Amino acid sequence: MNYPYEDFLDLFFSTHTDPLATAASTSSNGYSLNDLDIDWDCDFRDVIESIMGDEGAMMEPESEAVPMLHDQEGLCNSASTGLSVADGVSFGEPKTDESKGLRLVHLLVAAADASTGANKSRELTRVILARLKDLVSPGDRTNMERLAAHFTNGLSKLLERDSVLCPQQHRDDVYDQADVISAFELLQNMSPYVNFGYLTATQAILEAVKYERRIHIVDYDINEGVQWASLMQALVSRNTGPSAQHLRITALSRATNGKKSVAAVQETGRRLTAFADSIGQPFSYQHCKLDTNAFSTSSLKLVRGEAVVINCMLHLPRFSHQTPSSVISFLSEAKTLNPKLVTLVHEEVGLMGNQGFLYRFMDLLHQFSAIFDSLEAGLSIANPARGFVERVFIGPWVANWLTRITANDAEVESFASWPQWLETNGFKPLEVSFTNRCQAKLLLSLFNDGFRVEELGQNGLVLGWKSRRLVSASFWASCQTNQ
Amino acid sequence: MFHAKKPSSMNGSYENRAMCVQGDSGLVLTTDPKPRLRWTVELHERFVDAVAQLGGPDKATPKTIMRVMGVKGLTLYHLKSHLQKFRLGKQPHKEYGDHSTKEGSRASAMDIQRNVASSSGMMSRNMNEMQMEVQRRLHEQLEVQRHLQLRIEAQGKYMQSILERACQTLAGENMAAATAAAAVGGGYKGNLGSSSLSAAVGPPPHPLSFPPFQDLNIYGNTTDQVLDHHNFHHQNIENHFTGNNAADTNIYLGKKRPNPNFGNDVRKGLLMWSDQDHDLSANQSIDDEHRIQIQMATHVSTDLDSLSEIYERKSGLSGDEGNNGGKLLERPSPRRSPLSPMMNPNGGLIQGRNSPFG
Repeated sequence: MNYPYEDFLDLFFSTHTDPLATAASTSSNGYSLNDLDIDWDCDFRDVIESIMGDEGAMMEPESEAVPMLHDQEGLCNSASTGLSVADGVSFGEPKTDESKGLRLVHLLVAAADASTGANKSRELTRVILARLKDLVSPGDRTNMERLAAHFTNGLSKLLERDSVLCPQQHRDDVYDQADVISAFELLQNMSPYVNFGYLTATQAILEAVKYERRIHIVDYDINEGVQWASLMQALVSRNTGPSAQHLRITALSRATNGKKSVAAVQETGRRLTAFADSIGQPFSYQHCKLDTNAFSTSSLKLVRGEAVVINCMLHLPRFSHQTPSSVISFLSEAKTLNPKLVTLVHEEVGLMGNQGFLYRFMDLLHQFSAIFDSLEAGLSIANPARGFVERVFIGPWVANWLTRITANDAEVESFASWPQWLETNGFKPLEVSFTNRCQAKLLLSLFNDGFRVEELGQNGLVLGWKSRRLVSASFWASCQTNQ
Repeated sequence: MFHAKKPSSMNGSYENRAMCVQGDSGLVLTTDPKPRLRWTVELHERFVDAVAQLGGPDKATPKTIMRVMGVKGLTLYHLKSHLQKFRLGKQPHKEYGDHSTKEGSRASAMDIQRNVASSSGMMSRNMNEMQMEVQRRLHEQLEVQRHLQLRIEAQGKYMQSILERACQTLAGENMAAATAAAAVGGGYKGNLGSSSLSAAVGPPPHPLSFPPFQDLNIYGNTTDQVLDHHNFHHQNIENHFTGNNAADTNIYLGKKRPNPNFGNDVRKGLLMWSDQDHDLSANQSIDDEHRIQIQMATHVSTDLDSLSEIYERKSGLSGDEGNNGGKLLERPSPRRSPLSPMMNPNGGLIQGRNSPFG
């Protein structure tokens, strides 16, 4: 506990543990990481040394800690990665989990910095990661250990990717579709994270196209198409017979993501068609293949008289990410279709302007520690189902994010946030309805305390865990939609 | 309030108040013990004229109005309260009831004035309107609940179909894996190993077969669905956890501690609640909130049948008895209802296979 930057971390975390700050922090995501960065530079070497020098000493509390974990089941279960928000993190009090958690954070940050920072050193990174691997494994019993394990893996992959000359797509953990779907469903049952985005967008779509005979949804990333099952159900229950609204979905697939993803989009189409048939919803499906990340409306089949809805779900755990430039290309082209509605759901992380890599890394760590804590509320860490979800989804998700924040400096920093981008690029906000707000709150009431929903301006809803925002949904229309 | 003001401003006119109609001035007073002045249309017009003469409702004072109107028996008190209402844009409509045949032009002028007077947005809706609004919102909320549940179910059903298909294509592999697990497992969970095996070798699911849509509304089927779809989970997860000990292989959603009652926990499905031991109070408060909503709804609703229907659905949604997710259709009265006899893993499996998913 005598690292030079201890105080900074303390400060850093205290913005979260303070209940007042928690209440007030909704508008300002203001961590004082600038300060952290500044002192970082001068103290960094010492830090590493002290960490390295501390290794011997660290073994002792660790060996004590292992048996104690079981005695302190309650403590572990109450969740914390020790990082997150409002859990009343008390530094220096119990010498076991939390001090280990803190140590892990230090090591992770050190590794991240060593891998990319000004003092970039592959060797140092390797050493720190090796140390981390000794300390944690994905089967660990506390949130922080698990989280650290995922981050360690992610960082190791980065390191390997950089060092090995032949960039072999290294996928030791490819999961088959059944696994992915099982994990996806488990995740939905554990946390409102996924469904918050889906159902809020679905409700907004339903409202926007209430009086339209024909609806055309252009889906940026359809995944399994789960979202559309609920939309179809709602359309069917709203109107049947001759008044039934026709639904057409165009799903994009990108050649850049490999053949598999193209096949998956086609398969999703078959499934959705079958589902629509089974419930009697008039439906058609188009598959729009893109050769590059650039999108053009000329590749869409358009039908006169259809109300166009642009659907952009960017919040899902993903194995291959869509670059911001591809989203920007999609949205700016889609604007020319004069959409009735643009739904945008995105993670509240990472795209925070030019705060530097370490800032983004810490932000990511926070984000995932909040996600972990929120999962803990749904399913205990000891549960194998939880480990399953983590392995299939969260590990790759973390790794993916690490790649993003490392690689795409320029891209990430080109804008502050999606809502801001939309607002300055010819989209106007559309108000969130009472029904939609109500639905979001009800959805959260199905899960444990700790989740909350907050309004973001007139046109957005944010799902948060304690004081941390996880995912936000906002609704827009193209500015010319006056006709 | 009335009494408090009387001594200061009312003393002079107090003796007139017993009168019902006051001669040629046309003042109409009620005959209750506390007589109120009836603001007839004519009287109100004279009042409005006077106010206009005096430069608008903000400049006019009760005293000056009394002077300008010159109506005998009209007191400062009457004028004061009427002016107040006038300023707020609140008009005692009913009072004009018997003169409703009167001209429209004047009325519209009045409206305009009222609007001007109420430019501050103080025009409050009357109680009736408010009540309607509350009722509407409550109904909306209940509707939202109902829809939300249907939507979540639709998604669950859809995912179920994907899983089914994926499992089908993997059936061969799974079977091998499950056999291996059962063989290697030795002492490890004989029942679980065999359940996995039987799930894998069970009748292959039909490709992309969706049950009829009506099922989405029939809660009796939920049990089967939930069970069935967790069989898939179970099967999958198990394949991944064959190395763990038996206790760890149990899936207990939302529990803090392992619960030996595997089948029971697994049935939570869509609506997952934490263990009652830990979060009873939280759940209860949420549940109470729902109950309150419902009670309020019963006050405002006349359609009790539809309400009870909503209530039943809602109970599934609020699902305070998270430990019996399979009983979504029951009212939430028994907080911990007894376990269903069919909830052991094997029983569950058998039932699962009879489900619409085959």
